Amino acid sequence: MTLERPAPQGRGSAPSERRARGLRGALVLMAVVATALASTAAPFAGAQSAAPASEDLALRVGVVSDLITDNPWAVSAGSDWVVVTLQYDMMLKFASEDLSPAPSLATGCEENANSTEWTCTLQEGLKWSDGSPLTSRDIAFTYRFVIDNKIPQYKSYFPFNPTFETPDDQTLIWKSEEPTFAPDMPPWVYIVPEKVWAPYDGEALSAIKAVGNTPSIGSGPFTLTEWNPGQGWTMERNPYFWGEEPEVDRIEYRLYSNQEAMITALGNGEIDFADGLKPSLIASVEGNENVEVQRVVSDWWLNLAFNFGGQGADADALPALHDITVRQAIAMAIDKKAIAEKVYQGTATPGDTIIRPASAYWHLDLPAEEEIAYDPVAANELLDGAGYADTNDDGIREDPKTGEPLELLIPASQDTTGAVESGELIDGFLQQIGVGVDLRPVSDNKMGDYWGAGNFDAYIWYWSGDPDPNYQLFVFTSEQCGAWSDGCWKDPTFDALYEEQRAEFDRAARQELVFEAQRRAYEQVPSVVLAYPGWLQAYRSDRFTGWVPAPGADGYLMPGYNYDSVVALRSVSESVAASSGGSSGIPGWIWLVAGVGLVAVIVVLSRRGRRRELDEA
Amino acid sequence: MATGERIDGVRSPRALVWERRRAAAGAHWAAFRHNRQGTVGLGILTLFVAVAVAGPMFIDQASMEPATADGPLLAAPSLAYPLGTDNFGRSMLSLMVQGARISLLVGFTAAMGTMLIGASVGITAGYFGGTRVDTVLNGVTNWFLVLPWIALAIALTAVIGPTLVNVIVVIAITSWASTARVVRSQALSVKERPFIERSRALGAGHRHLITRHVLPNVFPILFANAVLMIALAILSETTLSILGLGPADAISWGRIIDDSFSAGALSAGWWWWLIPPGLAIMSVTLSFTMVGFALDEVLSPRLRSR
Amino acid sequence: MGSRGYVARKLVQAGFTLAFVLTFNFFLFRVLPGDPVGLLAKSQRLTEADVAGLRAELGLDQPIGRQYLTYVGQTLTGNLGVSLRTARDVTATIWSRIGPTVLLVGLGTLFSTVIGIWIGIKGGWRRGSRFDTSTLYGSLALYSIPEGWLGMLLLLALSGALGLFPAGGFELGGRTGTARFVDVLDHLFLPVLTLTLGYVGQYAIIMRSSMIDVLGEEYVTSARAKGVPEHLVRRRHVVPNAFLPTFTLIFLNFGFVLGGAIVVEAVFSWPGLGLLTYEAINQLDFPVIQGVFLVSSAAVVVFNLLADVTYGYLDPRVRAA
Repeated sequence: MTLERPAPQGRGSAPSERRARGLRGALVLMAVVATALASTAAPFAGAQSAAPASEDLALRVGVVSDLITDNPWAVSAGSDWVVVTLQYDMMLKFASEDLSPAPSLATGCEENANSTEWTCTLQEGLKWSDGSPLTSRDIAFTYRFVIDNKIPQYKSYFPFNPTFETPDDQTLIWKSEEPTFAPDMPPWVYIVPEKVWAPYDGEALSAIKAVGNTPSIGSGPFTLTEWNPGQGWTMERNPYFWGEEPEVDRIEYRLYSNQEAMITALGNGEIDFADGLKPSLIASVEGNENVEVQRVVSDWWLNLAFNFGGQGADADALPALHDITVRQAIAMAIDKKAIAEKVYQGTATPGDTIIRPASAYWHLDLPAEEEIAYDPVAANELLDGAGYADTNDDGIREDPKTGEPLELLIPASQDTTGAVESGELIDGFLQQIGVGVDLRPVSDNKMGDYWGAGNFDAYIWYWSGDPDPNYQLFVFTSEQCGAWSDGCWKDPTFDALYEEQRAEFDRAARQELVFEAQRRAYEQVPSVVLAYPGWLQAYRSDRFTGWVPAPGADGYLMPGYNYDSVVALRSVSESVAASSGGSSGIPGWIWLVAGVGLVAVIVVLSRRGRRRELDEA
Repeated sequence: MATGERIDGVRSPRALVWERRRAAAGAHWAAFRHNRQGTVGLGILTLFVAVAVAGPMFIDQASMEPATADGPLLAAPSLAYPLGTDNFGRSMLSLMVQGARISLLVGFTAAMGTMLIGASVGITAGYFGGTRVDTVLNGVTNWFLVLPWIALAIALTAVIGPTLVNVIVVIAITSWASTARVVRSQALSVKERPFIERSRALGAGHRHLITRHVLPNVFPILFANAVLMIALAILSETTLSILGLGPADAISWGRIIDDSFSAGALSAGWWWWLIPPGLAIMSVTLSFTMVGFALDEVLSPRLRSR
Repeated sequence: MGSRGYVARKLVQAGFTLAFVLTFNFFLFRVLPGDPVGLLAKSQRLTEADVAGLRAELGLDQPIGRQYLTYVGQTLTGNLGVSLRTARDVTATIWSRIGPTVLLVGLGTLFSTVIGIWIGIKGGWRRGSRFDTSTLYGSLALYSIPEGWLGMLLLLALSGALGLFPAGGFELGGRTGTARFVDVLDHLFLPVLTLTLGYVGQYAIIMRSSMIDVLGEEYVTSARAKGVPEHLVRRRHVVPNAFLPTFTLIFLNFGFVLGGAIVVEAVFSWPGLGLLTYEAINQLDFPVIQGVFLVSSAAVVVFNLLADVTYGYLDPRVRAA
């Protein structure tokens, strides 16, 4: 806003009476508007539920990403999973200790002699949250729905064209063309009511994903009852839940636009749980004796993926990246320890293999002698030896075959914690070995754009994976080019290892194969696993106790992999029973006093002004 | 004849004009010097400009790269690091000095862009006041005036991407209209003056009139406006940076605020990362505004104290 | 030309401006590099057939002229498209978020204008006095502070350090009646304070300049010469005439208040249009950005129209111009 002087309007004075009246009118109008605004604030705030009974026990959770959809087929962002995980069940769930299959809707699944037929037995008396019975037909329907409508992210759970039979309400038979352990993995698919989704069966995938406002009917402990986009949502206890009745009656999710506000709210007691914190924020709650921090072992990894250019006709990547020497040199030039320290402030560990540490049994922790050590000198020698010299002395090496400079276009995901900062560090590291970097911080939407067109050289994104390593290995296979593959890396040796482990039933033997596959991926460098960042959650220890982390003691407190935690929570003291909380905010009477005081000040000032005027007269 | 040449003791007309202008400038400068606001502002400004120009020469470039910065991470101010360090271990003092260069650069160039567009449109509209040219240009100016600058800036940046050059362009595009308005009204009043009519009677063309008569008379107010525009440009860049639309390829003070806020400086208590850039922006903006204000007073006699 | 002609003229002008805004909006986003359907397809992993269907549905396979007409038609009937990220109707989304912004911006503008004008009048009237000098410097200082940073500081001091106010959001939820009113007030205080402090300086300075201008006018001198007492000179002649151009400038600069509102909402997690815009920027959700652009431009146009008409009523000289 410029401070220019208002332009003079012309000679003479405007008629004074009207102006004076106009001035007064303007002031009155503003006062009226202000009062109107204040009193009409209520309807604009969005639908508000009636005040709940004061005995309700509410768990208040802070989040920074909004709920986008409650459609289980369209879940993508972090908060979407939260709702789906609490509202629905899997047929078998992940056990909290180690994510192995545990009884859920089904008490167990028995395989036949050659593992081509599994018989799963459901519990008796299962119900949906509207009171209608939950039978094996719903499970069969859900699985068929995924397969028939080709819902891509669940495809890997149903290999070998399975068919499903439901001889009675409590029995499901999974028939597979080949021997498989798929039902026991367990398939990470949430069971939905047939009656809600049957009408959409057979529609186009985009139509299915676009479905919104389906009735919140689930079998899980809580269902979505209220949703104010931009502010938050509420889930209430499901009276027909088959498991142990939770003490918590209601979970209120509050959306904060940034983590600072969220952590301050936690410190003030406005919320009981804050999820997904930046490392820097831990310092601010460390001193608070009522706040505990859970450092979750990493179940995702930061990925610098190379593009091999096979996605489509226009895919365009640096040919030099096909040379393994170049990729190895780049891997050697990156100081992963610096990334873990500077970007993640010590809450991450330097990365090595593609299976995340949280899958403890399957993750290969490479011994030091097998690792590619940080050695920029060796990296330079490697590139020199391979003929990538800096022919025009501009600090960037050239490719001897094409004459083009080694300049990498690297998009980095702004929505992935630490990706952009790591990119800035990598820019500096690669400069030291004569490789140029054009770093582009972009949103995940735009990342998808780059990925689809294939017009990047490397990108910095992440992989999250499943407890079972099958999916993570799957996405690196050749046939996933154009589907899940980062850059269309095609390696027959790796593909063969994947197929072998997929068919291997002996756990120990399979582990060997999975380790081999990780070694292969490490040596061939289709990606550089930069870091295993931890995940930080914080909660008020003076409000709730009984959290059940999954997997294991360093696991997630809140869903997550299952809802055991939320079901097991107990309040710490009687005072918690009241749903209102938060010690911040000024009590009502102070506002009243302030308001009266303000009016008094205005009156006094105007009166004093008038007296002075009279004196001057 | 060359400018300023004396021929038989008589100076050429052009020399006369320039001498008159120099005298006027001298008088303005004297008046400016007596204006406390102006001198204080100018003093602060000179200090910042000096830092921006000379400062970076004392900084070791390697210590400014995230990869090679070797200071302690997020350290509070100490003797070695008077303003502390950031999350990559870079000295805040050095960051502030480098940021001065970028922020002032953005301010100056964006304001220059604003001036160029605004002055061209304003002078043309004012000079051809009342004709169709004026109506069209004035209409366009009014359109840009009512477009909320932030909405336009967001839309533009979302389309063309947040680089240093683009930010400057976006600020210039969203700010020129108010300059055009001010210049137009000044040009309009200049146009009415008798010497314009006399010149035209003597056969002077449009270009001569605009460059020799209108422009010099519009210049003082344009100059004052320009200074205020620089302040506005710096504030605009800060707002854009805080929204994440600032230059991704250069570190301005606004970007330091955005980086520190996003990293959690507020709740972690890293005040040395968050506070200095804001104070710097405030000081620079304040000094530009004070100078601009003083210029306004000096160049418009009515505002001087009776 | 009578007042009716004036109003009619202003209405027509406003109409033209709106038409320009609409057209500008359309072409700006058609120029964008990248394919909106492509973005959607990748993030949702749609098949080829789905993509073609979506393209046809969005009308992107039509010639640009037809697309423009469709766009105008849709906008005039209130259809602003569908969000790329949430697949929800943009108009409904904007409508649900408009309330908190109106509350915040309304109160902020109210306080900053009233207080700023009062300071400007007092300062301009007694120019050079201690009050004037101190408030002038104070106003200049406040004008120079970036609003976002000011908000951060207030949050740091009053919420983080002293714990007097909540850290953000609109309300804690679950309350009704007076308790809810107080809760909203608690959450409203810091954002409104930030906006007020951010703009009070400007209004004070503008009003002050305007006062000084008017004080130099002939009719003031003649009023004084006639022996009119000072307080009446001020109240009847100076202030109303000084107020008029300030009034217009306040409305003209509403666009800047919108900008400040976006940053303030982002800092305080205030669930209004500004926060919606901020999120849409980060997500490159173009339909939402486009929709908010249209709505805010239209709001400014409407405000300016109101200002012009009111101004015309108050000052007949303008109507005759």
